[in-house]
Amino acid sequence: MTRHLLPIASRRETTRLAASLLRTHRRPLAVSALAFVVVGLAGLVAPWVLGQIVDTVIAEESSSSVLRGALLIAAASVVAGLGTAVSVTYLARAGEPALADLRERALDRALHLDSSRLEEAGAGDLLSRMGDDVRSVASSLTEMIPLLVGSLVTVVFTAGGLFALDWRLGLAGLASAPFYALGLRWYLPRSAPYYRRERIAQGERAEALVGGVQGASTLRALSREQAQIDLITHHSRHAMTITLDVFNLLLRFGARTNRSELIGLSLVLGTGFFLVRDDLTTVGAVTAAALYFHRLFNPIGALLMIFDDIQSAGASLARLAGVALLDPTTSSTAPSPVRTGTLELTGISHEYVAGRRVLSEVTLRIPDGERVALVGATGAGKSTLGAVATGLLKPTRGQVAIGGFPLDALEPAHVRSAIALVTQDVHVFSGTVRENVDLARPGASDEEIRSALSTVRALGWVEALADGLDTVVGDHGHPLTPSQAQQLALARVLLHDPAVAVFDEATAEAGSSGARELEEAAIAVTRGRTALVVAHRLTQAQSADRVIVMHDGRVVEEGTHDELVEAGGRYADLWSAWSS
Amino acid sequence: MRRHRARLAGSYLLITSWLLCEALVPVVIGVIVDRAVATGELHELAIWGASLVTLFVVLSYSYRFGARLGVGALQRETHLLRVEVSEHVLGADGARTGLLPGETLSLATSDAETIGELLWHVGYTLAGLLGVVVSAVVLFRIDLVLGLVVLVGVPLVLVAIQVVTPLIARDTTDQQASIATATGIATDLVKGLRPLKGVGAEDVATTRYRGHSATARDASIRTARSVGYMFGLTAALSGLFLALVAYLAGTRALDGDISIGELIAIVGLTQFLAEPIAGLGETSAQAARSFASAKRLVDFLQTPPLVVSGTATLDGPDADITIESLTSGPLQGLDLHSRAGELVGVVVDDPATGDTLVRLLRGEVALADRSGSLMLGGRPIDDLTIDSLRSHVVVCHHRVDLFEGTLRESIDPDRMLDDVQLAEVLAASAASDVVDLHPDGLEQPVSAGGTTLSGGQRQRIALARALATRAPILVLDEPTSAVDAMTEQRIASGLRDFRHGGGSRLSTLVITSSPALLAAADRVLLVDEGRVVAVGTHHELAARDDYREAVLR
Repeated sequence: MTRHLLPIASRRETTRLAASLLRTHRRPLAVSALAFVVVGLAGLVAPWVLGQIVDTVIAEESSSSVLRGALLIAAASVVAGLGTAVSVTYLARAGEPALADLRERALDRALHLDSSRLEEAGAGDLLSRMGDDVRSVASSLTEMIPLLVGSLVTVVFTAGGLFALDWRLGLAGLASAPFYALGLRWYLPRSAPYYRRERIAQGERAEALVGGVQGASTLRALSREQAQIDLITHHSRHAMTITLDVFNLLLRFGARTNRSELIGLSLVLGTGFFLVRDDLTTVGAVTAAALYFHRLFNPIGALLMIFDDIQSAGASLARLAGVALLDPTTSSTAPSPVRTGTLELTGISHEYVAGRRVLSEVTLRIPDGERVALVGATGAGKSTLGAVATGLLKPTRGQVAIGGFPLDALEPAHVRSAIALVTQDVHVFSGTVRENVDLARPGASDEEIRSALSTVRALGWVEALADGLDTVVGDHGHPLTPSQAQQLALARVLLHDPAVAVFDEATAEAGSSGARELEEAAIAVTRGRTALVVAHRLTQAQSADRVIVMHDGRVVEEGTHDELVEAGGRYADLWSAWSS
Repeated sequence: MRRHRARLAGSYLLITSWLLCEALVPVVIGVIVDRAVATGELHELAIWGASLVTLFVVLSYSYRFGARLGVGALQRETHLLRVEVSEHVLGADGARTGLLPGETLSLATSDAETIGELLWHVGYTLAGLLGVVVSAVVLFRIDLVLGLVVLVGVPLVLVAIQVVTPLIARDTTDQQASIATATGIATDLVKGLRPLKGVGAEDVATTRYRGHSATARDASIRTARSVGYMFGLTAALSGLFLALVAYLAGTRALDGDISIGELIAIVGLTQFLAEPIAGLGETSAQAARSFASAKRLVDFLQTPPLVVSGTATLDGPDADITIESLTSGPLQGLDLHSRAGELVGVVVDDPATGDTLVRLLRGEVALADRSGSLMLGGRPIDDLTIDSLRSHVVVCHHRVDLFEGTLRESIDPDRMLDDVQLAEVLAASAASDVVDLHPDGLEQPVSAGGTTLSGGQRQRIALARALATRAPILVLDEPTSAVDAMTEQRIASGLRDFRHGGGSRLSTLVITSSPALLAAADRVLLVDEGRVVAVGTHHELAARDDYREAVLR
């Protein structure tokens, strides 16, 4: 199956977005640029003064000019120091807010992404963009960009300095540039695929390791632990081989860089030799030129070495920009016209893949306040119908209406405020219990939260937690059982207070013992609302106002529990097996 | 270190040679200016030009092969440590490490790398030391006073930077922490996107993320300011020191005490020396980091095994489990016997009871943590070898672990079943639905953890995998909790047919509250408060209120 990944911005789009983000921070950016120029100029002073001192020594002038030179170097150092501090600081003042804007915008678009679009792309793609890519761009901004700009400035100004000393010396130094370029052209096309492979191999290694550690007891139970050790060893060795290969490549590239350095240095010194012999320049100028060129070794090396990282950070930026450039959703402040929770599904058909029909001509009307249970085997289309009813999935054919308004005609925000969906995807958000619950109504009072928790039978255990409502739960906090997590999800629905609640096997992951409590909580939440419950236990169907049995995408039986048992169809068979 | 003796020796030698060459580059530049450029002697240019070329050749090759050997040793060592970690945690008898998977991962990656880096750093330190010594010799031969100024001054400047930096620069760790937090929040929100969308809380979530993102931004700006100050300070102080050296060397040269070439060499060496000396300064911190990692790794490798085991083996496939008045955790004097050919249902009042039972039957509960008897085939299970226990009893936990591969590999990793047998397994576990839903059928990819599958699908695959082992005794813990009622019914009859058809000697123990599975069982035990309070068939027990309460939901 091919995935329709989220878009990746083109180079031009990325540049334009970056420029528009930076434009709002124009002043610090200008200060930073100015400071970089000052640093570059100040850096030229020392080698030039040293060349002057050499000339002073040869001409046997007074020592006061040596002192003057030394003072000049000292002054330049102080200026360079100040300039460096200012340039790095102001670069961050421009870049960091721009990056923050970008990641916030990307997350906003990501969260507002159409559900079906998200399913198509796969959550993994989005996760790696909001995680790895943001990290990669952030670290390049703090570590690499100052180094990159600083090195570039040094290289440009030093080259300028060479020309200022003597244009022939400048040309000699510049003659080494093609050799550097050749080295880079040799290296980049070879290294990029290696780095990609290295990252993949390291990912596989981590996955094999974590999979092994997490599943250790299962692997032991099935006597399969050696196979996993072999797999980890294999991935680890594979990653190591790639790392060594790519390092070897880097070393060969380093050798090419050394060669370019030698060529440049020799040319400068050789040219200087003949120029001095013909009295066209001074020994001091040649000294300064040689020192200039020697001083270039480190920044050029740094530039060449971070080229790869810059490229990969650029790729991350393009992936982030791809998300950030998605159309924003317009939210309206107008009050919702929806008054009642009557849910009408008319002639709904749906195909995820063309030609494979999951729902066929389903028509269903749930009056305001009725509780309907959907029953059927896996693949009967229950969950699809649930998703269609919430408006999160657009059916291939047919129409959904709430309170008499077709969903298409309503603002997305009004649809969301009218219908809530809870699925068996249990997720505890990192944060406090309060933050988990008031997501649905920010700024809800303690009283409202407590009352919601008490309705879903969660107040007892929440108050027993060390910090009560303010206990941190989720990934790095207090671990919750799946049924506790789902109770919080139900409490969110209460605070959200929609006219319609759709539960898609919302109580399935709870295991056996927590299930009853969760069941009661779910019923309490649906009280006073229209409810469509994809039933997992038949008791859910038993307590519903109406039961709908689905088979192969169609509604095959419909009625109250007692009526269906009486009728002796599919549902009755199921019930007798269940309750016998 | 001993593992890579030859490699490391070669690497250290070559790295030293490289660093010396780097030190000599400014010296040779000085000599060329002095002897050739200043004099106009062509043959001097030829001789010293050739020396420069030779120097670069040696420099380049030394580094290339030295680094190759050194990093080769580092990477190999890291790899071996990583394998040791995985062998320890995945050993047949397991390891009682108490670490989260993420912590074990960081042990096997970053800690192993930090230990490996020590190998490389030792070589660098040795080379740096020798570089400093050789530079000192060169400097002293040029001029005693200048040599002293440089050799004392460079470390002093570095120390000054080290001392002043903390005074003006804040710790950078809070930046890393706040970026990690913001990123964590973002990925957490994306992971919870479906529940989030379910209650339309996208905007609230975005607003929350903005707060964390702004904190990260401010911390990054603060850190950049610190880094800027540090860089600025370094640039200023080293420049000031250079000015001092230039002044002293300039006046010396003017007095005719040293030549122009020596002047250039002194200036060049002053700049060169900063690097190896700074490296030496970091050695102790690096060594401390490596030793801390090494200690964590050693502690980890010394954690005791998880499973108690002995040396006895069982003859023949038939063996029964006999548990008598067992007390451990939530179990309070539990009695349980399995008989060949029987399907036994166990109904527990508390998931912890089932969990303890599972760990007991896997041999994972230490002797000190239990009393009563736990026998397999008439022998205490602690006396049996791990393989003997595992070949008789396969225990599947409620939590499903799936591994990356195809669906077929997930169910039958060793290809023990032919197509007919596999089809039987799939039918019995209702995993055939999962196979049919995907165009690639059995060859469909399964991701690690089965993240692309629903909870019910994962459970059915795990059940198929358990059935495929054809273990004499199979213990299942809530195998159908995420499966719908109709499928559960199919699984109940499938399990019955597959493992308990006519004359079968296989026995199965199912911890469950599913009426469908319990109705298929030969015998049901009702466990309350850690002890068996009733035994009978599902129908017989259905008369009891407490049983209906626990089961019929």
